[in-house]
Amino acid sequence: MGLRASDVMETNFYTLLPQTPIAEAVKIFKQASTEKGQIVFGMMVIDQQGNLVGMLSMYDIFLLIRPKHIHIWGEMSDIDVSGIIAQACQRARSLVVGDIMTTEVITITPDTHLLSILDIMLKKHVRRLPVLEGGNVVGIVYMSRVFDHLLERLAG
Amino acid sequence: MPVIHHQSVLKGLTVQEAMRRSLIQLPRQASLEQAIRYLIKYKVNALLIINEQHEPLGVVSKTDLMGAYYAGLPVDAPVETIMVGPPLFCHPEDSLDAALETMRTHRVHRLYVLNEAAQQAMGVLAYPDIVGLLYRFCNKCNRSISKNQDLADRFQVREVMTPAVQAYGQDASLAEVMEGLAAYRFGAVLIKNLRDLPVGVVSKTDLIIAYKHGVSPQAEARTIMNSPVQSCDQEDLLLAALQKMIFADVHRLFVYQGQPQHLVGVLSLSDVARFRSGSCRACLISRVKID
Repeated sequence: MGLRASDVMETNFYTLLPQTPIAEAVKIFKQASTEKGQIVFGMMVIDQQGNLVGMLSMYDIFLLIRPKHIHIWGEMSDIDVSGIIAQACQRARSLVVGDIMTTEVITITPDTHLLSILDIMLKKHVRRLPVLEGGNVVGIVYMSRVFDHLLERLAG
Repeated sequence: MPVIHHQSVLKGLTVQEAMRRSLIQLPRQASLEQAIRYLIKYKVNALLIINEQHEPLGVVSKTDLMGAYYAGLPVDAPVETIMVGPPLFCHPEDSLDAALETMRTHRVHRLYVLNEAAQQAMGVLAYPDIVGLLYRFCNKCNRSISKNQDLADRFQVREVMTPAVQAYGQDASLAEVMEGLAAYRFGAVLIKNLRDLPVGVVSKTDLIIAYKHGVSPQAEARTIMNSPVQSCDQEDLLLAALQKMIFADVHRLFVYQGQPQHLVGVLSLSDVARFRSGSCRACLISRVKID
């Protein structure tokens, strides 16, 4: 028992549309975190036909906010950085989720074994995996949930 | 007879010390849409296109993608249809000065660094990264800026800028803007309102985003322009302008004379990189070496 994706996947999840503006997506992240009572770091992007087309993670948003020449900043002792987030949002105004999402997404099925899930997460450095059944998204497996599950079994 | 060599502050550095190691590359079958997504996501101006053996085949730049937009190519076309190849290379042990000279003579903004043994690219050398190096040099230099120096000794924006501004009316079509960008080799144009005042900027980045979003090339420039215009005074210190560009993550500032509405030029990262000097005249002295 408790060895398959279907046992650890979250079936109640928020998703984003590829045409959602970035500013809107950030609000949805916040809303999802509040509702779940834990911080949501990544979401699936699903088009109007219901197909999984990508993932948007905290990492993608960080890439957008980080100025390209940040490495020089360490030497800018006299600079005021307070405007940086506002500047980044201003620049990202015309961007939508589909412009910065990751499209190379690894998926699993409800019967993928827990140890295979662990293996994929370690090898591919991903923290969440969409679960597809017959091409439809039925859930998402979070690394934290896998860990939680393993701890429970080990303790038991 | 003594021979006078004009040296740049970058003298003595090798490509290896100045290159960026994170390469953004795509296989040749990748779509133009994916190329645009990578350019936006990783904030680069060009991508390296590779074959199945990871050997570099060509380069796709924002300019090439703008050309595809202008020509009406579908965004799902493969990148190999528009890539320019083979890429121009330099080697890790080459002097930075020689590599910059190659960039200048070939009128390109970047060189890929070749690992001969593997026949793979190991890095990229691009103008914006050179500017980062110059900034660090000036910031560390004892003779530079803030250190009891007369204002007259420091370079001002007008000494380095391109003294011309390409402007379009806000109702000009994106196709017209693209024609102008291609003809004058600018990275961005100024957009003016009906009263001839600057109201925004359309860059190649804005155009490729419009391409990806399916905006018609006949749409008016004001629908995609970025505002306000990022600008500086021509009397501003070069170092201050550089700092502004690095902070705002932009590749150029429009330059005004006295009033922000009176734009007289453009200061781009490429201009600064081509200048290849520090930000004050202390460098001029060090640059003249007598053998």
